[in-house]
Amino acid sequence: MTARPDERLLDGEPMRPVRCRACGAAVQARKASWQQTSIQWSAEAMAACLERRAAAAGGGPNGGCFPACEALRASIVQAALDGELPVADDGGDGS
Amino acid sequence: MTTTDTGHDGVRTIETGAVPARFARGWHCLGLSERFRDGRPHTVHAFGSKLVVFQSGDGRLNVLDAYCRHMGGDLSQGTVKGDEIACPFHDWRWGGDGRCKKIPYARRVPLRARTAAWTTLDQDGLLFVWNDPEGNPPPDGVAIPRIEGAASDGWTDWRWNETVVHTNCREVVDNVVDMAHFFYVHYSFPTYFKNVFEGHTATQIMKGLSRPDARPPSKKGRPGMLGNTSVATYHGPSFMIDDLTYHYEGMDLDCVLINCHYPVDANSFVLQSGIIVERDERLGAAGAEEMAARLSDFILRGFEQDVRIWKNKTRIDNPLLCEEDGPVYQLRRWYEQFYVDAADVRPEMVERFEFELDTTRPVEAWKKEVEENLARRAAAAAGGASPGTVSRDAVSPGEVSPGGAA
Repeated sequence: MTARPDERLLDGEPMRPVRCRACGAAVQARKASWQQTSIQWSAEAMAACLERRAAAAGGGPNGGCFPACEALRASIVQAALDGELPVADDGGDGS
Repeated sequence: MTTTDTGHDGVRTIETGAVPARFARGWHCLGLSERFRDGRPHTVHAFGSKLVVFQSGDGRLNVLDAYCRHMGGDLSQGTVKGDEIACPFHDWRWGGDGRCKKIPYARRVPLRARTAAWTTLDQDGLLFVWNDPEGNPPPDGVAIPRIEGAASDGWTDWRWNETVVHTNCREVVDNVVDMAHFFYVHYSFPTYFKNVFEGHTATQIMKGLSRPDARPPSKKGRPGMLGNTSVATYHGPSFMIDDLTYHYEGMDLDCVLINCHYPVDANSFVLQSGIIVERDERLGAAGAEEMAARLSDFILRGFEQDVRIWKNKTRIDNPLLCEEDGPVYQLRRWYEQFYVDAADVRPEMVERFEFELDTTRPVEAWKKEVEENLARRAAAAAGGASPGTVSRDAVSPGEVSPGGAA
């Protein structure tokens, strides 16, 4: 049961490096469209992330889940706007 | 079985792959612990073998291999005597630690009189066993989190269901990333969908609308159901806790839903669901209980819907995905960590991965479909024909309205 690669990354845009403008954490990211985002973190990026370090565990049994780093989200959007991170489906109409 | 995805003429070939030869390392819930506290031994078929669960005189719940190491008798057909389980074959007495304590007809217990004892956890009314093919105890950091509502008078008791499903348990785990099936199989309407995998946890964050085409119109004077917000996390390979809030006009209703399983063998598993609902005065005295009962039925219906798919589908190792599908391959990469030796867990299996789905197109398509279903229903009602919903199974908890008994 060896995990296979996601073919969407082979047939379409691959994951590309993006750096967080707040902490410098280096992640791999991909945007299949303006609303879709994939982020692959590494142990180093996790250690660097300021928001994650500052985050208190939320309430409830799943409160340990850190949903997102806002600074990284903004950095990925900026990288897409700057053209550093290609957005695969840039048509805007979803077709 | 071929090794390429595309055969002749560009036809996509399905690779079914082999089911894993071992069972996942991790905590597995066996159900409500209360069920095992009746002074009798219980048979549990799990992890490709037979287990006996019994409560010893000291109150502890113990899990041992069911087969007596003496002559192979089935301890789960035996009798609890004090702190030990006695074999029905020759009355050998086994303690919860797996050691033979006494053989009434023998002067002494022989050497090597030890059987497999499973590490257990009795928490929040649920009994868990730790499975590890390497035989190691649970490491730090994989504890099952406490569910505060389960021990609180402010919440209902567990409503628990279990059913045997005849397929490999990966099918149920795949659901954590499968947004579109929630619309087509379960008649819900996701509008936001995100997955986060990190360490031994896999989370699904989902927001949804209620489906007016999948239930009768809300009754007059009752607040209608608007939608729901759900944060569901697998804590290890098999135990998912879903922190679920239903949004009604003017109020929210909090529930905790458990979706968990344990493997019977490579091709079957016991699928379980549990639900507790927070008591709310607006629900009335019996309202929370009734809500829990209805939600429990709803979840069971959901399982039946899944099972109908699983019964007829093929295992598929190379699913063909569109961009509006979730991260199936990354989920399976995460899931693989539980099927390799602890020393062979690779960083990519446990490193954080996030996937936020673009729901723009799905929501457009589904709104249209819901409108079409409603128009068809209205036309049928006007024509005197049976109105019909999208399916006789399309029941949603939206039918459950606060404000007392229906």
